[in-house]
Amino acid sequence: MITLAHYVILSAILFGIGIFGVLTRRNAIGILMSIELLFNAVNINMVAFSRFLTPDGAYGELFTIFIITVAAAESILGLAIILAIYRNRKVLNADEMNLMKW
Amino acid sequence: MVELILFYAFAALIIFSAVLLVTARNVFHGALYLASTLFGVAAIFALSGSFFLAGIQVLIYIGAVVVLLIFVINLTRQIAGSSAAQVNEAVVPALITSLLTITLIVLAVLKTDWATRIGKSVAQTEAMDNTAVIGTQLLTNFAIPFEVVSVLLLAALIGAIAIVSRDKEAGK
Repeated sequence: MITLAHYVILSAILFGIGIFGVLTRRNAIGILMSIELLFNAVNINMVAFSRFLTPDGAYGELFTIFIITVAAAESILGLAIILAIYRNRKVLNADEMNLMKW
Repeated sequence: MVELILFYAFAALIIFSAVLLVTARNVFHGALYLASTLFGVAAIFALSGSFFLAGIQVLIYIGAVVVLLIFVINLTRQIAGSSAAQVNEAVVPALITSLLTITLIVLAVLKTDWATRIGKSVAQTEAMDNTAVIGTQLLTNFAIPFEVVSVLLLAALIGAIAIVSRDKEAGK
């Protein structure tokens, strides 16, 4: 049977891959995609703990719904900002967006 | 037993495509690998009995977020399409950081005695459909967060339009 540890270890591995992506990608869109990986790792944790700890309340699932909503809003705004920067300055790599850097 | 095999299969799919996502040289391929990862996560949700969340995951993430990402990648094609170096110089420190994070969490999980902490809930292995519970909770106990998050979505919508829309004065 699938235990809680299975879910948590899977989520930890996915989280680690996401951290690696956030730290190493140069492309700003790639960073956003890695952030989605982090959100999904957290969501797996939420659902697993909800199933094993509060099977009749589904609180983890409710939090996951809110996390998915906020993640959608976040990616919309992030992509809008990336598009605006691209239109004005023709850069897409996060290490070249250094106009405000002192 | 079938559940366990399915779990391992989808976990392998998730990890495989996530690794391909963070190492892909082409951002467009990365978006497709992201869709595959999200599909695996949806399958994991379904395995743990959250069929509603699995549907939400496919509809919102694969149907909306990935499509939006592909739109933006295509709009910025001139740069995104080139196969220039996609990773910065911090690969080794990032690898160490992520491996340390994974090791820490996995060690903590393996040392924890889940059986005594969870008690009788562990015995409940049947994956039940809890869509009705989620719906009831959303409209009773969680009604205020539900409304607040709709305001957040409206704000994000207006903000995205305001950021992306061209300034008429600058266009002249």
